[in-house]
Amino acid sequence: MSRFLLVVPPLVGHINPLVGVAAELVERGHEVAWVGVPELVRGLSGEHATVFPADAGDVTKVRDRPAGLRGMAALRVLWTDLLVPMADFMAPGVRAAIEEFVPDVMVCDQQAMAGGLLAELLGLPWATSASTPTELTTEYLPGVESWIAEQVDGLRERIGDPKSKIDPRFSPDLVLAFTTQALTGSDIEVGEQVRFVGPSIGARPLVADFPWERLDPARRKVLISLGTANPAAVERFLTVSAEAALARSSQLQAVIVDPSGALGEPGDNVIVRPKVPQLSLLPHLDAVVCHAGHNTVCESLWHGLPLVVAPIRDDQGDVASKVVEAGAGIRLRFTRATDRHVGDAIDRVLNEQSYHEAAQRIQRSFRAAGGSVAAAEHLERLSRKQHAVASG
Amino acid sequence: MSIEYAPLAADADVVLGEVAGMIREVLEEYEPEDLEIGMATRFGEDLEFESIDLVAMADHLNARYGEVVNFAEYLASMELDEIIELSVGQLVEYIVACLRAVEGG
Repeated sequence: MSRFLLVVPPLVGHINPLVGVAAELVERGHEVAWVGVPELVRGLSGEHATVFPADAGDVTKVRDRPAGLRGMAALRVLWTDLLVPMADFMAPGVRAAIEEFVPDVMVCDQQAMAGGLLAELLGLPWATSASTPTELTTEYLPGVESWIAEQVDGLRERIGDPKSKIDPRFSPDLVLAFTTQALTGSDIEVGEQVRFVGPSIGARPLVADFPWERLDPARRKVLISLGTANPAAVERFLTVSAEAALARSSQLQAVIVDPSGALGEPGDNVIVRPKVPQLSLLPHLDAVVCHAGHNTVCESLWHGLPLVVAPIRDDQGDVASKVVEAGAGIRLRFTRATDRHVGDAIDRVLNEQSYHEAAQRIQRSFRAAGGSVAAAEHLERLSRKQHAVASG
Repeated sequence: MSIEYAPLAADADVVLGEVAGMIREVLEEYEPEDLEIGMATRFGEDLEFESIDLVAMADHLNARYGEVVNFAEYLASMELDEIIELSVGQLVEYIVACLRAVEGG
């Protein structure tokens, strides 16, 4: 039996992959505790999860960045307004949790850098949870790379071991990547400590009602969802998507996730909901239009569905490129796509067999990769190895 | 990818016209009707270029100027803030300087 401490930021997409891993570790007789924002972790992982609180600061400022803030400008704000202050905020909570729980192994999300920094400082074995493959596969321009390194160095001075050279985004012993090389491409170079375990998709609680009786078996169905990004940024894209769906009412039904209620009720073949039970809905669908958030992309491909991707920012452009290169979808420009672009792309992914075939190829690789079971096995191996080193 | 070019000229107006043509090729069917491309136009905020667009731009520049203009090396020399603010004019001036260096032998 080993004790695993999971360090997570207050970001749903970063907690979700570890929910299944935590359940699997408990199933195998291990002790698991979390460090993060307790209400959020318990909402996703269950009421009985042990969660040590870590104040993460205000994440809404970055979540609600305006639509125009994209590319490298968005990356700069992501680091200065979210990743760096969040690590500073979380450090005391993470430290207190380590002292109280006394873990054998820490599992640190790539964006919760306080975890990796403190594990290094205190000499604890740790693994990285890479909920999106972008940090593993992106070759940043040298100017961007060195700017990021400066931010990490500053954090290491304040809360880590100033003498260490370890990057808190990459454990030297084990990096769990919740995807497979069928999606990332097999020609990318990653460190030998990286393990592609595939998506960790568990049975998540139904979070929303859905009018299942409205789904029409005679028409093909697409989900149009831009995740939890801020409503002002997504309204235009949802509006043109609804127009594209309306123009295809005889053969198409669209389910549109519209958190702000801006769309109203555009027509009989467009089902508009503020949120949907996505995992329950996907088996009924034929394609997905999304912002290339890694969770939605993986859940769609898990069900073998082709994609239309309109990346907004952060890792989404990179994930969208991977979808396109794998042949499983079509990329649109988020701020400029019209109803014609969206409609044409939907027609193509529905009608051209190659998109289905690529999506199903990735689906098979995902289901063969082992997911949370494989992740738990790698973590057990790390724990045993460290134990052998300590006692030998 | 079917732009027809005149012989190389180290002239800012000529180069601006060529670069603007490449930008329109990259934006393709997404080119806004009222798009004006001048020296002050920024790749990030004004043109909403994404990483893949810069890669496409590098291909166009290479097709036109060959080894004379090394766009990848130019980007590699920049700080993050400079990449964010990069304007069409800066790229044009860089290209003109590269062409002049070759002309000067």
